[in-house]
Amino acid sequence: MATTVPQINVGDDYREKYGFFDPEKFVFKAKRGLNEDIVREISFMKGEPEWMTKMRLRSLDIFRKKPMPEWGADLSVIDFENIFYFLKSTEDQSKSWDDVPDDIKKTFDRLGVPEAERKFLAGVSAQYESEVVYHSLHEELSKKGVIFLDTDSALREHPEIFKEYFGTVIPPGDNKFSALNTAVWSGGSFIYVPKGVSVDIPLQAYFRINAENMGQFERTLIICDEGSFVHYIEGCTAPIYTTDSLHSAVVEIIVKKGARCRYTTIQNWSTNVFNLVTKRAVAYQDATMEWVDGNLGSQITMKYPSVYLMEPGAKGDVLSIAFAGKGQHQDAGGKMVHVAPHTTSTITSKSISKAGGRTSYRGLIKVHKGAHDVKSFVKCDALLLDDESISDTYPYIECDENDVNIGHEATVSKVSDEQLFYLMSRGIPLVEAETMIVNGFIEPFTKELPLEYAIELNRLIQLEMEGSVG
Amino acid sequence: MTFSLKAVEELGSLHGEPEWLRARRRASWAAYERLPMPSRSEEEWRRTNLKGLDLEAFRPWEPANGAAPVDTIEDAAAVLRQRGSEPGRVEIAPELAAKGVLFMPLSQAAKEHSELVEQYLFKGIDPERDKLSALHGALFSGGTFLYVPKGVSVEKPFVSQFWSSGGGAAVLPHTLIVAGEGSIFNHVDEFLSPTLDTPSLTSGSAEVFAGRGANVGYVSLQRWGNHAWQFADQKVVAEQESTVRVVNIGLGGRFAKTRVEASLRGPGASAELKGLFFGSGEQFFDYHTLQSHVVGNTTSDLLFKGALRDSARSVYAGLIRIEKGAQHSDAYQANRNLLLSKSANAYSIPMLEIMNNDVRCTHGATIAPVDQEHVFYLESRGIPRATAERMIVHGFFGQVLDRIPVGQARDLVEQELEARIG
Repeated sequence: MATTVPQINVGDDYREKYGFFDPEKFVFKAKRGLNEDIVREISFMKGEPEWMTKMRLRSLDIFRKKPMPEWGADLSVIDFENIFYFLKSTEDQSKSWDDVPDDIKKTFDRLGVPEAERKFLAGVSAQYESEVVYHSLHEELSKKGVIFLDTDSALREHPEIFKEYFGTVIPPGDNKFSALNTAVWSGGSFIYVPKGVSVDIPLQAYFRINAENMGQFERTLIICDEGSFVHYIEGCTAPIYTTDSLHSAVVEIIVKKGARCRYTTIQNWSTNVFNLVTKRAVAYQDATMEWVDGNLGSQITMKYPSVYLMEPGAKGDVLSIAFAGKGQHQDAGGKMVHVAPHTTSTITSKSISKAGGRTSYRGLIKVHKGAHDVKSFVKCDALLLDDESISDTYPYIECDENDVNIGHEATVSKVSDEQLFYLMSRGIPLVEAETMIVNGFIEPFTKELPLEYAIELNRLIQLEMEGSVG
Repeated sequence: MTFSLKAVEELGSLHGEPEWLRARRRASWAAYERLPMPSRSEEEWRRTNLKGLDLEAFRPWEPANGAAPVDTIEDAAAVLRQRGSEPGRVEIAPELAAKGVLFMPLSQAAKEHSELVEQYLFKGIDPERDKLSALHGALFSGGTFLYVPKGVSVEKPFVSQFWSSGGGAAVLPHTLIVAGEGSIFNHVDEFLSPTLDTPSLTSGSAEVFAGRGANVGYVSLQRWGNHAWQFADQKVVAEQESTVRVVNIGLGGRFAKTRVEASLRGPGASAELKGLFFGSGEQFFDYHTLQSHVVGNTTSDLLFKGALRDSARSVYAGLIRIEKGAQHSDAYQANRNLLLSKSANAYSIPMLEIMNNDVRCTHGATIAPVDQEHVFYLESRGIPRATAERMIVHGFFGQVLDRIPVGQARDLVEQELEARIG
């Protein structure tokens, strides 16, 4: 049964900027729906070792057995039988931009990917539908032993590292959608940063859904060996169709002793995409994990990046913004699990709702027995731009140890009339004044982004804000 | 005799209740039989362990027994003393009765003021919310009915004292308070029992209906013995321009779960919900609170403070819900937990659901041990460590103690805390 969801426009120019779609061209497209044969077919197409095929099948079984989550956003409209689980759009992955098939190249050109690569990125990966179509990495980094590959190639080329870590941070049985991802995963990024290597400029992956009713299930695995550093950025867009697509990624990160990893997401899916993502990192001694998570697009997002603080000195940080416009529900947040003593974490969440949109902060601070001298602080600020929008806060604090210091604070407010008055008294029109205030509100987030992204984000917010003041 | 429909019928006829009330008891009994035991797969019960609770083990009520301690709050406007599950005895100043104040056991009120009681009883609390609420609805026994007519203001507090000295039975008092327009008064419910070997089942549910412009204080002083399982539902319904202050003091029970809910239904209504709990040994406290802003221009202010020592545990989960049309609502919610020992633990879940932008809404939660800097400061002034810690715990509770509207009740809680903090 196909479910039709009314078409919604986000900002006027999503359509022209990201909303275009190319005619579907593919070298292989699996049938709609989900069953053992499709899973076997995906595994076969990729020429995977037997252990992976078995793991996929086992995960499919778990997916079927697990009930749909009953909390959070309404997921009952997802029709798992109406989705294409695998779509291969080109025969080979390109290392040179010129070799990318024209129509796909055009897509990423329009999105500004090669330009960004030239300007400031150390490596780029571009995923189109189910597989990565373009890949590059600066030469000096590969000489230092940095591995930056799409996850499929990594399984072929580095089977030992892969098998050692894959599915260890997020086992298939973690939740229904991690099981689904493990059954049908395809594409995503694999990064290995060797001991002591610092990747100074960011690595980027760009994810694009083009086909209608497509399911994108990328799988990302990042391993930061002792004392290393990497900053990984992902961006996501999709065309506006009248029926839904599903994006259900799994991201696993291992940050070893003294290493630091920063993972930045700018999620700007079109508003017919269900974005149900499991992201988790484990941080060992003195390691730092930072999630910088921006959610602007999608119809429904449910995403709670988490950090398991496994050894003393580990530090976790989540900085998250969510913007929900008409018909959108951003159910986002973060989880910090303190397993070891002397660990610290912070979660900062900023959310903006307008035109009936709903933002929910949902988070967990868990302190296990024995994890003394823990410090954790959560701060949530919500801005409601009109009286039809909704904001929720669900912070969970579970503390099994006494020598800890945990705080949570949240405020919900509207754009302050005094601030508006101040700006308008200086001749700034209402819309502009409101946009400035919103940009100021999310500034702690934008200042953590590379400049190009910060500009882009400010522009996106500006677009979202236009026409929002009546 | 265990819980059964027969027991429900018997209780109704024992108290000579009118038919409508018996019918309600039967309906709640049917719900009790139909509903499953709350399970840990339900969000509200996920962190709450009912292991060891055997509903088959309790007798449905308890005859009056033992000698209660002398009155702890003297100089009250009126006192109701209940022993076991039997209807209490009332002393009330004649001039109050002359003003039309009604203060009597709930069962007596159901007979003598049937219409008034029927209009309000279980209109705030849903007796079919879960199995334990339904059990209370079917077998509540004794309790107080307090009605203060329009414009009557009573300076001294009303006090209801519930005493139980036997184990193995259910003691389920229900308090129903109806405040007429512009009335002003305070009511204290005191729940008392010695610590026994045999577990008992208790409630202590209360419904407070504050009419337009009324000003009501309600204090629940929970000092059951450490053998008691307590499940209590409290509900405040505040009409236009009324003010209700509720203070929950949780000291007793091996397991004490209390829902504290306020529904602000008229513009200008305001609710202050304060709570204080101190757990030691293996005690477990569970508070679920709700501040529901149904209409605009309403205010709610919540503060729950708990200190835990030994292996005591607590769960606090609270929700502020501001409905779509409730513009200019102002809501605050805070939960502060002090952990005094290694094996004590506290869970805190302060939640917000805001459907409207023109509001002021803030919340906060903290979990921390005694601040060593504070201890150091006091020690450096020659105060021994143990005393310093005690002073800090006192200071921590001060904010809630100050809000207890009845002076004597405040003194009583302070003494009790002193003894318990030791």
